[in-house]
Amino acid sequence: MGMQSLKTSVINNVQNNLNTKFIKKLLRFISVKPVINLYGQSFKSIADRYLNIYSIRYLNEVYSENYPVAYGSLFLPYELINGLGLKPFLPEVIGGFTAGLGVSGKTIKTASNKWYSSDLCTFHRSATGASEMDLFPKPSFIFSSNLACDAACKSFQSFSRKYGIEKNYYLIDVPYENDKESLHYLSKQLENIFYDVSEKLYKKPDIENLKKAINYSNEFRKFAIEANNIRKQLFDYPQYFNGLNFILPFFGLCGTKETAKLYKIMRDELKEKLLKQDKNKKMKKVLWMHLKPYYRNEIFNILENNNCRVVFEETSNIFWEELNPEKPFESLAGKMLSNPLRGSGENRINAMRNLADSYDVDGVIMFSHWGCRQSNGLSRIIKDSFNRQGIPVLILDGDCVDINNCPAGQIKTRVEGFAEILNSV
Amino acid sequence: MYTCGIDIGSVSTEALILDIDESKNYKILSYVVNKTGSNSKTAALESFNKALTDAKINRNEINSIIATGYGRVNVEFADKNITEITCHASGVTLIFPATATIIDIGGQDSKVIKIDKTTKKPIDFLMNDKCAAGTGRFLEVMAKTLEINLENFGDIFLNTKEKVDITSTCTVFAESEIVSLIGHGVAKEKIIKGLIYSIADRIISMISRVGLEEPVCLTGGVAKNSGISSAIEEKLGIKLSIPFEPQITGALGAAYLAAKIDHT
Repeated sequence: MGMQSLKTSVINNVQNNLNTKFIKKLLRFISVKPVINLYGQSFKSIADRYLNIYSIRYLNEVYSENYPVAYGSLFLPYELINGLGLKPFLPEVIGGFTAGLGVSGKTIKTASNKWYSSDLCTFHRSATGASEMDLFPKPSFIFSSNLACDAACKSFQSFSRKYGIEKNYYLIDVPYENDKESLHYLSKQLENIFYDVSEKLYKKPDIENLKKAINYSNEFRKFAIEANNIRKQLFDYPQYFNGLNFILPFFGLCGTKETAKLYKIMRDELKEKLLKQDKNKKMKKVLWMHLKPYYRNEIFNILENNNCRVVFEETSNIFWEELNPEKPFESLAGKMLSNPLRGSGENRINAMRNLADSYDVDGVIMFSHWGCRQSNGLSRIIKDSFNRQGIPVLILDGDCVDINNCPAGQIKTRVEGFAEILNSV
Repeated sequence: MYTCGIDIGSVSTEALILDIDESKNYKILSYVVNKTGSNSKTAALESFNKALTDAKINRNEINSIIATGYGRVNVEFADKNITEITCHASGVTLIFPATATIIDIGGQDSKVIKIDKTTKKPIDFLMNDKCAAGTGRFLEVMAKTLEINLENFGDIFLNTKEKVDITSTCTVFAESEIVSLIGHGVAKEKIIKGLIYSIADRIISMISRVGLEEPVCLTGGVAKNSGISSAIEEKLGIKLSIPFEPQITGALGAAYLAAKIDHT
């Protein structure tokens, strides 16, 4: 059996056996060394290979029931959660996985049957449906923040009710402004969470472990900055490399040794590609905003086939300063506050304009994911802002998780039409 | 040289043969407007063959072919595919060179394209999303519900003073709303006037998003409906340019761009 047919067979099996018992069995099977090595060979980019092996091992641990599991929304300081010795589980990211595995139709339908509004973003709807189907590991703690995504606060509260752990649900309130008072307010919340969770785990607060996580986070940050700098000149990418595939390590597994290693691998791989690349190669450069569809789709192939390349993604942006392990809570609060998605839309616009300048892009694609109001609400202003600089913008309306809400033909025409505009300039 | 453009839409397929010289002077030799039907491949081939017959030339005399429209990938005998956005821009600016904005209302989609007046190329566009409200198909369904020939909608719109507002944008719900209005004894003419205004409103909303810049050209099968063009003109307070055959601008642009294909 070839690797591709093995992958197809795994996906078919998941679709036909959508229950936790099977998921656990499958993860245990794939995590066995010879199998995972074989599985890894199917990825052509080395960073992608490491990411996939690492993600499966991580999921196997999360589902093993040997560790306390913590659900978390995307924009949390995961150094804190990893530093507490919890295994983070990101329902929104898993919502994306459901799309990749072709089961989001079932999970979204389940959420719909339980009265979750079809207006709710499908990352949350699919995750909620999966949780209702008991496909998720049982959490000991749940964390979310009001940073950027309002839906997370509510759907994560639903999770806490479902699992009967309302007292272990922590909602981190991130202030609108980034000033001294906000920093103090936020760092105190993080500190309280650290001590409160340690107490609930019946263990002595382990600040040294938190410092260790912060050091790993700094290592990851350093390698990621170097990789991002290489990308400013790189056209010859490792096959199938896509920055939008690295959401889990970038956010949820930040503060782990493995994420630091992953970004070192990525930096080295990109560096090697840069040294060998054809300097005469010219393609139209695109900045990608927001996320992408995680089911099988042709968007990036269409861009490649039309001489366009996504040279950078909003989600790959290292926006925070190096963390100080001696001031862990203040540093992590600072990281959260420096997120361009916090506060005024101007923060995001300025950050994107800086990226557009740094990567000298010819165009911007903003994927307008259904229900993601924190992002879509800004689309007009973002478009006008880039247009004033003479940079064309495609607002690509679609859905990252629900394939039925994103007609392939319409997407193809829009992306090809946009590529034709870029190539005609 | 002879070139061909084929535009496969959801409702109609157009094939156009162009005679074009090195100075880019061109002459339309023939064009065909056919129903797409259930098989876009067959529609493309039949339209192409008919256009060849009408132009009195052979297949091997055609230098290059470009396919456009939603079914463009199904035209296996084409040399290249280009989106209808670029092809419409090319075709319209051949007929009306000063055009700055194109409104194209087809069978299942409508689009607004902004043109760079200097380069004659598209610089921005917007297409309707997912739903077919405000397109040719919407009008067809409503005509069937009202049991009035669609070709008469234009005259009815122009000769009717009052309208009733149609509040549903969804084709299915709008159909129910119309049945209900008929049941309440509302004159069909007033319903038609309301329907046409509702389509015009949707199109104007799209234009507002892209930004209105004159001159504006209206293309697509729906451009043949004088009610729609009048309603848009009235609401925007401008005069629209409408090509002699508004359905062929995509195919014309495709044929014109096909002259650039280098076979060496």
